[in-house]
This record gives sequence, C-alpha cells and structure tokens, in this order.
Amino acid sequence: MSELAIRRGAAPALAVEGLTYAYPEAPRPVLEAVSVDVAPGEFVLLAGRSASGKSTLLKAACGLVPHFHGGEIEGRVEVAGMDAIESGPGQLASAVGYVSQDPETQVVSTTVAAEIGLPLEMRGDPDLDRARAVEEVALALAIPHLLARTVDTLSGGELQRVALAAALVTRPSLVLLDEPTSQLDPVAGDELIWLLRRLNEEWGVAVLLAEHRLERCLAAADRVVAMAAGAIAFDGAPAEFLAWSQVGDPALETPAARLFSLAGIEPLPVGVRAARASLESRELRSLGPATAVPHPGKGVESEVRPSGQAAFSARALWVELARDEQPHDVLRGIDLEIRQGERVALMGRNGAGKSTLLKAAAGLIDPVAGKNEVLMGMALLTQNPGDYLVRERVGDELPGEAGAAALRIVGLEHAVDTDPRDLSGGERQRLALAIALAGRMDGERLPGLVALDEPTRGMDRARKDDLVALIERLAAGGAGVVVATHDVEFAAVFAERVVLLGDGVVIADGPAADVLSGGWYFATEVARVLDLPGVITPEQGAAALAAAEERPR
Amino acid sequence: MRSPFAYTPRPGPLQAASPGAAVAYLGALTAVAFIYSSPLVLLATGAAVTIAGLLAGARGAVRAALRMGFSLAVLIVVVNALVVNRGETVLARLGDWPWLGEVDITLEAIVAGLAIGLRAAVAMVAFAVYSACVDPDRVLRALRPIAGRSALTATLVSRLVPVAAADAARLRDAARLRGPGAAEVGKAALARRLLAGSLDRAVDVAATLELRGYSLEPPRRRGRQGLRGFYMPGQAKSTDRSRFDRRFYLAGALLLLAAIVGKALGADDFHTYPTIEIAFGPATIALSALIVASGFLPRRHKRRPARLSTRIVEAPRV
Repeated sequence: MSELAIRRGAAPALAVEGLTYAYPEAPRPVLEAVSVDVAPGEFVLLAGRSASGKSTLLKAACGLVPHFHGGEIEGRVEVAGMDAIESGPGQLASAVGYVSQDPETQVVSTTVAAEIGLPLEMRGDPDLDRARAVEEVALALAIPHLLARTVDTLSGGELQRVALAAALVTRPSLVLLDEPTSQLDPVAGDELIWLLRRLNEEWGVAVLLAEHRLERCLAAADRVVAMAAGAIAFDGAPAEFLAWSQVGDPALETPAARLFSLAGIEPLPVGVRAARASLESRELRSLGPATAVPHPGKGVESEVRPSGQAAFSARALWVELARDEQPHDVLRGIDLEIRQGERVALMGRNGAGKSTLLKAAAGLIDPVAGKNEVLMGMALLTQNPGDYLVRERVGDELPGEAGAAALRIVGLEHAVDTDPRDLSGGERQRLALAIALAGRMDGERLPGLVALDEPTRGMDRARKDDLVALIERLAAGGAGVVVATHDVEFAAVFAERVVLLGDGVVIADGPAADVLSGGWYFATEVARVLDLPGVITPEQGAAALAAAEERPR
Repeated sequence: MRSPFAYTPRPGPLQAASPGAAVAYLGALTAVAFIYSSPLVLLATGAAVTIAGLLAGARGAVRAALRMGFSLAVLIVVVNALVVNRGETVLARLGDWPWLGEVDITLEAIVAGLAIGLRAAVAMVAFAVYSACVDPDRVLRALRPIAGRSALTATLVSRLVPVAAADAARLRDAARLRGPGAAEVGKAALARRLLAGSLDRAVDVAATLELRGYSLEPPRRRGRQGLRGFYMPGQAKSTDRSRFDRRFYLAGALLLLAAIVGKALGADDFHTYPTIEIAFGPATIALSALIVASGFLPRRHKRRPARLSTRIVEAPRV
C-alpha cells in the first residue's frame, strides 16, 4: 500500500499505550504493557499463538474491554481520537467495527437488511440515509441478493459477510476482525481476505486482523504485529516478520517461508506471488518431476493405500435435508470406502456435505437411498467438543474400566479428578474424543473408524501438531481416521488420502500429495508456489528445489 | 430446521403493514374470540384467521397451529366433560372416580368444552399468523423508544430462541454419539448444559448489541421532519408505514365495533347449561359473515396490466 494511502503522521486509527489488563478474578493480566498503533488506512495482521492476548487486544480497541467484561485496566486506548476506556462500545460504534469468529452470535436481527442497518438505526440516522448506506455496503461486499433473506437461512460464510457489512456500514475508520476465516472453507476464506484488502484500498478503512492461518493473509498485510504471552513480541513489515519468526516463534512460520528457509533461499517470500517471482529470478520455476520425499508423520510407503479391512463403506448414498423449507439433496450418490489404519482428509467447500456424510455414517441421519455400513464400530467427534462435556469431573464423564481405557488412548489418564473446564482447549477436545470412544474399544483396541469434524478451528500450529500426533496414534492403533477439515496445510501433514466433496458428490479421491497439488483453492501454499505434482509440504518442496539446483542447466 | 412459526419475508399486505396495523387486525379477531362464546361466531373467527394466514402465505404456521389447536381443543373437551357434571342431556354415566367423584358425561359439558377449545385454537392460529407474518425487527424498533429495556430483553430472547434450538439439537446429537462406556446423559443434565451454554450465548449476543450501539439513547424524531409527517426533501420517509395500514386499522376498529353492537343485539345468545341454547338470528349471521369477510383482507390484488392510452390505428393501405 502506498505511503499516501496509509497516511502516516495523521492521527492514528488506533493508538494503544502501556495497556495492561486482567479479566475479573484472573490471577494475572492477559495483556501487559502493550503499546501499538495502527495508522489510518493501514492493514495490520495480528499474529500469535492461542491465548497470547490477540482477542483481548481487539476487544480493548472496540471498548468491550473493560466496559462489557469488567476487570482491571491501565494505560491508554484511543480510537480515531476517542478514548476507548472512557467511551463505551456504543459510542465507539461509529469509529470502529468488530467481527468475531463465531458468526452465529454476531447477528441479532431477523433479516439481513435490518441487521446491516441496525448500527445506523441505533445512531438515529434517517431512514433514507440508512437505506442508501445498507445498499452501498451490500454492493461492496457482493451481498445485495441476501438483503431480503432471514439470517437463519444463511450459510456460515454468508453470515460472516453480513457481520462484516454490519461492522462497515457506519463507515468506521478502523475494522477489527478476530479470526474471521476460521469457519470458512479455503475459497470463502481467501475471498474474505481479498475483500478486506479491496475495502482497505478503496474505502481507506484501517484493518486489524487476528489470524492463525498466516499464509492466507500475510500477502495482504502492510504490517505484522506478533503477540506472545500478552506482550508485543514483534512489530514490523511482513518480510521482516518471516525472518523474525524463524528464531522468535517457528510455529508462526508460513509454509512458503519454511520451504525457502529449508532450501536456503533468501529473502523469505511473503506470499505465493513473491515466492514464484523469487524462484523465477533464480530460474528454479521449471523444476523436474517431483522427488518422493516423506514429510513428518508420513512415509513414502504410506502413499499406497493400506490393505486393512474396510471400516466404512457407502454405496450410492443419498441424503436429503430440509433447506429453506424445501427438501434438498445434500449427498448425491456417494460411493466411498475407508479402511482400517487409513488417515483420510474429507474436504470441500462449506455445504459440500462433509458433516452430513459423517453424521450419516454415525447413524444420526438416515439416508433416503443407498447404503452405508460401519463395519467395526465408529466414534464421531463433532465440531464443538464442549457439547460432549456435561459433568464437572473428568472421572464422572468416564467411569469404570471402559472410561479409563478411553482416557489412556487420548493421554488424559492423569486428569481423572480435573474439572473439564480447567482443561486446555486441546485437552477438552481429547476428552470429548475419549467420551465418544468409551465402550467402543475392545480392551485397548480401537473401533474401526474414528471421525473428527473440523477439529482445528481456532487452533494454533502447536496444538495442530498435538492433534496430528493423536491421529497418528489412533491410526497406528488400527482405526481408520477420517477428518473433515478446511485446513489444507493440516490435511497435508496428517492425511495420506484426501476425499474432496463438491455439492454432495466425490469430485476427487486419491493420495493427499496428488489431490492437494492438483488445484488452486484446495492446494497447499507450497503446491501453489511450485506447481509440481505430488509436492505439497515444505520438506518435499525443499528436496525438489535442491534436486533442481544440482541438475545441470 | 426452521420453526414453521418463524417470520419469513414475503410480499403481501399483512407483511408490508406496520406492526401496529397487523396487531390491530389480528388482535381484533382474537378479541372477538374472547368476547364471544357462540360457536358460530367462534367458527367464523377461526375461519377468518385461517384464511388470513393462508392468503398471507403462512401455510406452514397455520397448519402447525391448527394441529396444536385441535389437540388442545380435544384435551379441553375431554377434561371439561369429565370435570363438569352440569347439563341435562346425560350421554354416559361413568360411576364413581377417585378425586372426581360421580362422573356423568353430558352433551352440554362437551359443547361448552368445545367452545372453550375453539377459542383457544383461534387464539393460537392468530398468534401463529402474527409470528410468521410480522417482522420482529420492526416490532422491536417500534417498541424501543417506548420501552428500551423491554425491547433489549425481547431482542435477546428473539435471537436466543433459534440459537438455543440449534444448540439443543447439537447437544442431543453429542449425547447420542457418546460411547456406551461413557456416563449416560439424562434430560436434566442436558437441560443444565443447555442453560449454561445459553448464558454464554446471551453474553455474546449482548456484546454484539453493545457494539451495534444498542446502549445509546433511543433516537427521537428529529426537527427535520415535515409537518404532520409529510415527506420533505432531504428528510427521511418512514419505512415503517405502508399503504395497507389504513385497511387493517379500519378492519380492526370495524370488527370490534360490530362485535360490541352485535353483543348488545344478542348475537352472542349462547347458553350451555342446563340445556344448549344457540342464537342463529340475523345479528349472529351478519356478524359471522362480516368476520369471515375480514379474513380476505391480506389478499394481494394482482394488478391488471395498464391499458394503453395510445390507440393503434392501422395504417391506410395505399
């Protein structure tokens, strides 16, 4: 972005100085002496692991902290010249918009038009001005066709756009977004990020975006602020951030940066375009055939499908669900078989039928035609692990020997007397899985199929690595593991096979390396950079680059 | 799955009418059902709200309300027949029952129960039509300047009901997916979990309301408004009024007036005990006809294509 557009030197869109904040009854502050500013028209990416203080900083910038959450606060927060600690979120609503990761709780009206117009109505804007502003923002976000719809008929991606429209309708100088893409498929996620960039450029609105999947938005950002343990650990340009992350926090490294770092290429690329340009300048873009290089958690031999017994099979499976008061075919003649010991990623855009397929396999939904069989038992962990936790002691959730065996499988045998609410997010997820597994194991033998639906929402890379280890343990124990996910990079690490659904039918089914390198949206960043069949991880890419370097020119 | 009673935007006079007008019309029909006991008038009122709902496109809501209303009416008839021993036409003597004593089923008690059940069913259908056809956002918008806190509570509730319904469905699924070795989850535990989750959800929704500026002073009509509500250039024209408002306000007033006059003229001459006496006089019939006719008000008139003002004259052959 040009210096003119960023207008450095003008009053900042956000100025935070020496901010220390502790939630009520919290033993220690979640933010400590945080100082950061966002210039008008700047696009700032807020990086950091889970619980590093990103969300709290965003809430302080829109006035929810301390006005809504209470707690103790010190320091100064100014938004467009207004004191955010003195003014409440209502007063700040004209200057700052906020979008959180759960779109369901961000809508309060019945229709989309009413939802978008609500902030203007609260401000007392005349009806005509309101109608025009709603129309303008709907056009900017490409949602005019949704205006007459009721909010309960929208998909997650549509809801997220409506929430963004409601945040932008007052034409704020700053918009804050807390992991807005965590529930979106790669297509909708990419669209949202570039939409933000376009609004940032055209409307001049400053953006402060907290995200875990940095590869998705680093190229769109003017600046990166990284947080660690409630403090600012890094503040600088995206290219500098990549260099810092190698030593500062390798968990924040993007796949393309890791590829370059393993291949010893400098500077580290900020995105796919920069990486391609860099390789072209080195004449490395025309690489030879892919070299089979294993990546963590996956051996070369595992690219071949295991010859275990079938754990799940679907034959011409049709499932119909009601949508907009009309029956709608969600699955349309699916044929699929998953074998014991296989690690399968089930992918596809929002509404493609991933969750429906898992629910049909688990017997929660009856098919209207066809047949599906789970041959040796199945455990399904749905999208919200908290739904499984209803008691106040882990041991009460899982009594007896069957419960103890399930806890051992997920590595929580030490937490029998703990309150589930005191467990970390990852541990709660493992406990929920243990609840689904309990009694379905023969001694320590797992059921034939273990299914996880979107288990990486809001997870940082360290927690994802723990989950990969758990999946490997389950597969090694003989279970076929199928994970419905939007996270392409995560799928590349754990899966040996990818099944891609599109509008209720299987549109691709094959080894992960083939499927995740054979497209654009459902492809890893490394695959998009190198465009080599079968190369999807930084390790594979680095080996291919090294081989190309050695090849005589 | 959406509730059949959930509001769905559709084109039509009842949906376009302001909440006040819709309430005046449906409220008048409900009031008539509560003022009158005559089965003929109650049947006419039931027919009116059903026709109104069907013409407004709320077929699902009307069907669900009729089903529920019919079940409730049957229950009321059975309970009334068992509990009330008045009436001279004994249909069955059931002897001595614990707590109830001597139970005689009389035709009069059945008819009296039917009238009460019919009244409840009419109220249910009217509410279902209101729920499916009147935009709650407009109701809350109208309510906010008058009762800000009540409007906030109503907004929270109206948003939380569908969210809680979705949460309950998810919790039920999760309970079914628990392994046979995990502790069983009873309805009480699920309800407790749902309540705890709903409180968290309520906090999130309340935070969203804060961010939208709900805590600001409710907007008052500004000085830029024209005289007597006429539209002035540069001034907001209220979108909460429609050309159908007058129709529904008038219908509501006319129905109430006719009901009161009819009552004075003996249109509700209906007694069940000791023997059934029902008036079918001209006043009752006229009032019933008027009520049924009012049910057609939500009908959408199809516009005829405008006549061409230019006559096409065939060119003279040369």
